[in-house]
Amino acid sequence: MARNRTTKKLAQRIDLNYFKRPTPLKRAKFWLSLLLPLLAIVWISWYAAHKDARVYSSGRMSEPHAILEKECAACHVQKASAFSAKPDNQACLECHDGPIHHASQITTPDCATCHTEHRGRINIAAVSEKSCAECHDDLQTAGRPTRYSPHIRNFGGGHPEFAALRDNHRDPSTIKLNHAIHLKPIRRGPTGPIVHLDCADCHRPAAAKTSWTYADANYLPINGTASPDSRSINAHETSSLVPRTPSTGRELMAPVTFANSCASCHLLTFDKRFNEGVPHDKPEVIHAFLKKKFQDYAAAHPTELRTPRDPDRDLTGKPLAPRIQSFTAADWVAAKTADAEQLLWRKTCLQCHQLSFGANHSLPVVQQNIAQNSNALPQIADSHVITRWMPHAKFDHEAHGGFTCVSCHEKALSSSDSSDLLLPGIKTCQTCHAPGPDHAESRCFECHTYHDWSQRKEITPKFNFPPLKTGGR
Amino acid sequence: MRIDASQRHWAIASAVILLLSAIAYHVYVYNSALGARGGSPAGLAFGILGFAFMLFAALLGARKRVPVWRIGRAQAWMRGHLWLGLLSLPIILFHGGFHFGGTLTRVLMWLLIITVVSGLFGATLQHYIPRVMTADVPFETVYDEIGNVRNLLLEEADRSMEALCGSLGFRKSSQEEIQRAGGFTAMRPMAAATGGAAVAAAAEILLLTEEESAPLRRFYLNEMRPFLQRPSERRLLLSDAGKAQVGFGGLRTLLPARAHPTVDDLQDICEEARQLQKQQRLHHWLHLWLLVHIPISLALIVLGAVHAVMALKY
Repeated sequence: MARNRTTKKLAQRIDLNYFKRPTPLKRAKFWLSLLLPLLAIVWISWYAAHKDARVYSSGRMSEPHAILEKECAACHVQKASAFSAKPDNQACLECHDGPIHHASQITTPDCATCHTEHRGRINIAAVSEKSCAECHDDLQTAGRPTRYSPHIRNFGGGHPEFAALRDNHRDPSTIKLNHAIHLKPIRRGPTGPIVHLDCADCHRPAAAKTSWTYADANYLPINGTASPDSRSINAHETSSLVPRTPSTGRELMAPVTFANSCASCHLLTFDKRFNEGVPHDKPEVIHAFLKKKFQDYAAAHPTELRTPRDPDRDLTGKPLAPRIQSFTAADWVAAKTADAEQLLWRKTCLQCHQLSFGANHSLPVVQQNIAQNSNALPQIADSHVITRWMPHAKFDHEAHGGFTCVSCHEKALSSSDSSDLLLPGIKTCQTCHAPGPDHAESRCFECHTYHDWSQRKEITPKFNFPPLKTGGR
Repeated sequence: MRIDASQRHWAIASAVILLLSAIAYHVYVYNSALGARGGSPAGLAFGILGFAFMLFAALLGARKRVPVWRIGRAQAWMRGHLWLGLLSLPIILFHGGFHFGGTLTRVLMWLLIITVVSGLFGATLQHYIPRVMTADVPFETVYDEIGNVRNLLLEEADRSMEALCGSLGFRKSSQEEIQRAGGFTAMRPMAAATGGAAVAAAAEILLLTEEESAPLRRFYLNEMRPFLQRPSERRLLLSDAGKAQVGFGGLRTLLPARAHPTVDDLQDICEEARQLQKQQRLHHWLHLWLLVHIPISLALIVLGAVHAVMALKY
């Protein structure tokens, strides 16, 4: 007989109170549900019992603050009878001064508004461009209207062209230099028939120690270099809002000097009797140098005071000079000095410098004004060489050393006037410095700084180094 | 619970919440100078929303423990648990700006991930396994009673064998009194002494000779009884339906025709035992994930509350 499996018979197998009996699965569920939350409470209580608040940290500290990783109370100062222990500006100012940005700013954000902690081992000074745009996107200032662009969101959005390139500004330098000619092959030079000048033959940072190709040792000072030191360059025309990073002397190009870059081609010869040139110095120095040279020469060569007339110098319409001219030594020196100065002031110096003469004088007059007073000497205009074109920003040539100069300063190849501004425009910078993973850093801090370090105040140290890691001060 | 068209409203609502949250998150990140921060107003809003979803999901356990609460249908609670619990993960990721943060927050994030992933795993199993169970286990019974039903099957098989082969010295069922289902008449205390109404009626007594029953006895004692006692042992012949078919087929050729109905019953008992074994296996798949999901989610709620309080402090 086949088995008879009716619903009733199947149901009769079931204990009506089966659900009251704990099964292994139910028991495991119950105990685990009790055990794990209990473990969680024990774990967090263990930290609380040891007064270790690190467990509540929202992330690792930045690199400079890594030493404070275990010392929450250094920033999270617990005020008496207050539950909250959120960090405030005072905690930051214990160690750092944070001078304001501008006197005309209408709000001063808290430190943590821009410098975000607990985001891992990041550079905490590398603030978001949005932090700057909080104000600069719609710039409001106290007092007089701002002269800065009022709507800057980031480097690619609203940032104006560099100030030096706006409004058809020209290079105020008085040195006359044709970059285009100097960058083409030059027919004659000290090292051979054809000279190909490179930018670095004239333009180098102050800290560069390599020898100059076209230097003339006669013009170099005793220490062997004619470049100003980097500190003087960086101090020149800088703004207070320049980052306080220590200078390497390689950020900016040093002014070009005659001794290092020009002297071997542009000789300052003044008379065929002498192989050397005049010093590259003020007219007074040159005048004294010339006078001394000719006096010494006259003393050594007295026969030169009697000079036969040069047949080639007979000019029609002018009275002929005597066949043999005799000078006193003083007259001869004065005449030769005047001749040399004619050459220098008219041609040699004038080729690069702007010369101006007094109201009553044009150029030295030969055989007149024998007294040779210095009032006859020209004034050489100050060169006005600018080394820092962006006083509100920093730029490091060394960081860009992998690129050829003309890839940014391309106008140098065609510039024929020294008043041409050869500074690359913002578009050139934006080629590389743009948002996105394929571009170089473009946030504001890359070039600018917020704090006006000229306004900084000295802070009083409060931490002792060894006990800091264990909570001491 | 099956993930089918009946969940469409919940799915659409969840997708809309996720989309709106994602848009809000991107607007907030785009306009925030410091990027996404849990402590910013928007970050806090995401945190509160995510934790509220977690709390709602956790309340399902309380709702199940107190079924007399008339706060919404159990099905609605289950669907809310499923969809809002799932949403809590992206919302909490928005809260932290996809950063896991420090020690406690990292622990919380991993607990949340484990909870949500185990929940998804469980939901998937709950979607498929009941159908497999219906198709493959027609003899399905109450899981908690599987052990008891197995004992009854063993007893039934013993009695069938003794009806055919004479006494084999098997122990009778226990005398414990239990309340059994099966209608009003079954509510009375039952005992094996009553004739074992819970066990199918014994086959008609057709005693075989010693010689005739020898193959059956050997088969029963060596193969079938060990299988009924220990069905989880896979090396046994009757654990496999195909091999069992062959084994019982061979047995029939060795036995006289009058023993065949009993052999059919024994084969049927083995089939039921196999199905109960399969039911047990499927039931474990259906519920073992809860051993991870529930304790971890409770720890998550506890630590989440601690995080919320301490975040206000720091």
